[in-house]
Amino acid sequence: MKSFLAEVTESVRLYGDTHALWLRSPDHLASAVPGQFLMAYAGESYDPLLGRAFSIFRVRRGPGGPEFGVLFDVVGRGTDWLSRRREGDQVRLVGPLGRGFEPRERVQKMLLVGGGIGVAPLIWLADSLVAEGREVTMVLGGRTEAQIFPAALLPSEVELVVTTEDGSLGETGRVTAPFERLLPWCDQAFACGPDPMFEALYRVARDAGSNKPIQGLLEARMACGLGICYSCAVFPRKGGVRLVCTDGPMFDLRDLYA
Amino acid sequence: MDLTVNLAPHHKTELRLRNPIMTASGTFSNGLELAKYHDVDALGAIVSKGTTLRPRRGNATPRTAETAAGMLNSIGFQNIGVSALIKTIAPVWERWDVPAIVNIMGETLDEYGTLAARLEGVPGVAGLEVNVSCPNVEAGGLEFGQVPEQAAAVVREVAAHSTLPMLVKLTPSVSDIRPIAMAVEAAGAQALTVTNTIPAMAIDVRTRRPVLSTGSGGLSGPAVKPIAMRNVYLASSVVDIPVVASGGAMTGLDVVEFVMAGATAVQVGTATFLDPAAPWSILAEFEAWCAAEGVTCVDEIRGVARRRD
Ligand SMILES: Cc1cc2nc3c(=O)[nH]c(=O)nc-3n(C[C@H](O)[C@H](O)[C@H](O)COP(=O)(O)O)c2cc1C
Ligand code: FES
Repeated sequence: MKSFLAEVTESVRLYGDTHALWLRSPDHLASAVPGQFLMAYAGESYDPLLGRAFSIFRVRRGPGGPEFGVLFDVVGRGTDWLSRRREGDQVRLVGPLGRGFEPRERVQKMLLVGGGIGVAPLIWLADSLVAEGREVTMVLGGRTEAQIFPAALLPSEVELVVTTEDGSLGETGRVTAPFERLLPWCDQAFACGPDPMFEALYRVARDAGSNKPIQGLLEARMACGLGICYSCAVFPRKGGVRLVCTDGPMFDLRDLYA
Repeated sequence: MDLTVNLAPHHKTELRLRNPIMTASGTFSNGLELAKYHDVDALGAIVSKGTTLRPRRGNATPRTAETAAGMLNSIGFQNIGVSALIKTIAPVWERWDVPAIVNIMGETLDEYGTLAARLEGVPGVAGLEVNVSCPNVEAGGLEFGQVPEQAAAVVREVAAHSTLPMLVKLTPSVSDIRPIAMAVEAAGAQALTVTNTIPAMAIDVRTRRPVLSTGSGGLSGPAVKPIAMRNVYLASSVVDIPVVASGGAMTGLDVVEFVMAGATAVQVGTATFLDPAAPWSILAEFEAWCAAEGVTCVDEIRGVARRRD
């Protein structure tokens, strides 16, 4: 696993305070799947020191070849530095890393649930599921309208349901209500968002007596992304310890919360 | 150019490294993850995650925090335990050429002895690194490594149960590292690792609490290099056994510095988190420096910074 330099092809504020950074894909990234992530190293010195984990949010063909995008809010020094990269700048990365989403074969109805910036890996998942001809319904939740990924940027085939806590867009409330309604419809569900959201989704499914697989993409404080530092521990309720970066980041929610 | 070094020159079983670059405990897991992508046999030696008698789940999260040119960690010795290490990891190491050293940590003298006994004669295990940065629960909670007599007692306990070459990893949390270094040498250690992480803390202004779940943790990375440098310099000036440097090595030139301060080998730790190829690129840089300077073996520059003419 070698680090590589990728050239920035585009840097945009996509919506609200959320940025998208597009980079030229090295050849080996062709093997990546939705849900996998990269470690990006900000700055040219030892400060900031560690990499930041970013899901691949989308891939596209640019004028100079394949590109991949990362989607992020500016929350600290690393993301601030990344947000100031411009076309032609280089960013050092390691990846693709981790275990991504695993859509079952020969199932049709896919439910995707994203909370806040957790939408990022679901966009590429939606793109690829639509391309495979599957039916995709997406539930996106946020505190307010500015946090919601714009419908216009999704494939037109995607059925979109929006929730905001302040009611500024879509249904007022959280993603759990539409999730409960749509769970009987779907064959498989995928989620990414804050930890309490996963637990809420797990509870909804359990209380509904559903045994449909729900794949959650976890976030964790990572120092390496490689399985060598043990920073990114997650403790399944039934015992033991797993590493988000190498055992995940995709986990079946039942393996964590049952 | 011959960069081989020997970490146990006077021991029944020597510990020969093809070059002075090692991995640091807890920063390379047990080697299997990166061995998928890199040639571990090109390194001088690898050191296991800190291994305890029983498996440990480790501390609650957050376990790490970024600081200026450094990081804090409080992993809490998450590890699979010595039995699983012997059963599942050592057989893989046996197929490798690179010497694999098991880092062990006990909470009592007895546990250190038992760990040593369990690892005695296990194919694939080339040596022990004894972490004495652990509170002695039977004696008031100071770390074994903070009291010369207790550190020496650990060394004797391990030596009584093991014929493997033994490195003793010292703590920097002492006012003077020299008395500990001498006590550990006198008790029969084959080499010293200088040093473990430095106790430190970061506060989250949003939650108004320490960032780490345990409050404090250990500082590592480039920020600690000058502290490690001085401790290597001091320790190697009072012992005849090899000193292995640990703390902030990021480049081949850092390795050169540590060797000039008196180190026989250098461990690469936090650097591997920034770049999984770090141990290998640091080795390549060190070799290139030696070639450019006409240095043909490590001993030519080892400790030169301590010489006074
Ligand atoms: C995440 C992490 C885990 C560590 N775990 C151990 C351990 O289990 N046993 C040990 O003796 N040292 C452990 N260390 C200390 C390192 O082996 C090394 O001595 C220290 O990090 C200083 O070197 P560096 O600045 O090159 O990282 C750990 C360090 C880090 C950063
Ligand atoms: S981030 Fe280092 S083990 Fe997962």
